[in-house]
Amino acid sequence: MTAADGVAAAGGDFVDLPWEALVDHNCFGCSPQNQSGLRLRFSTHPDGLVTRFRLGRAFESYPGVVHGGILSAICDEAMGNLLVLRTGRSAFTVTLRMRFVAPLKVDHEYSCVARLRPEESRMGLEHAAAEILGPTGRPMATATGIYKPVPMDRAREHLVLTDDAAGRLQDALSESSSKQNGA
Amino acid sequence: MSSHTHEEILATVTEIVAAELGVPAAELPPLRDLREVEGADSVKILRSVAKIERRYDIEMDDDDVFSLRCLDDAAAVIAKTLAQGRA
Repeated sequence: MTAADGVAAAGGDFVDLPWEALVDHNCFGCSPQNQSGLRLRFSTHPDGLVTRFRLGRAFESYPGVVHGGILSAICDEAMGNLLVLRTGRSAFTVTLRMRFVAPLKVDHEYSCVARLRPEESRMGLEHAAAEILGPTGRPMATATGIYKPVPMDRAREHLVLTDDAAGRLQDALSESSSKQNGA
Repeated sequence: MSSHTHEEILATVTEIVAAELGVPAAELPPLRDLREVEGADSVKILRSVAKIERRYDIEMDDDDVFSLRCLDDAAAVIAKTLAQGRA
């Protein structure tokens, strides 16, 4: 992947996200066609899901330092998409807690690994965690999130979708979930 | 979820923090004030916290994290957090 602003995922076997079933998929985090977005690509990881990224100055905070809000978005994307893939449902963020351990440098490669925390999950809410890691695997930021997975009929109260698009998305969600869960 | 004794937790925490601070574990007795350890800073302590949370799959409260003074405090907070998770 190439990107003018330096947002780039390293090569590898990327997971097909169900949102790709939508021709006008424009997610800030993971749509490959949103030129203002992060265009994250995800791969499976023993813990869950991983994305690798390199952020350019368009995502800068202090000079040479990556903006923390963008890191929050990346962790949220990784955790949320992991849940989507596992549950076959849209997952709305309920809480997102970040700890910024050390500043990330612009134009350097990092990774974000997300995992689920099923022992914490209750009342229809799913817990997840994510870590942004430096090149040697040292934690640079950590996140925890709580998500509400929602079936398509409920999600459509919030999503702007035609009936046809909703049908395609539902099929893609089911297929992704089956693949992730080994069915 | 398995239970952990205070001593087991303390040993694990000591190992993680010693590695992160780059000092021998013997230099980190349970009640030593971490601020007195040469080379200790907030980044290294937060990295240690991240590894501890990952190791035990827990989320410690920010108030607890930012009031840690020594490894014995850390072990107590971990035990409390694990107990809350089992409740």
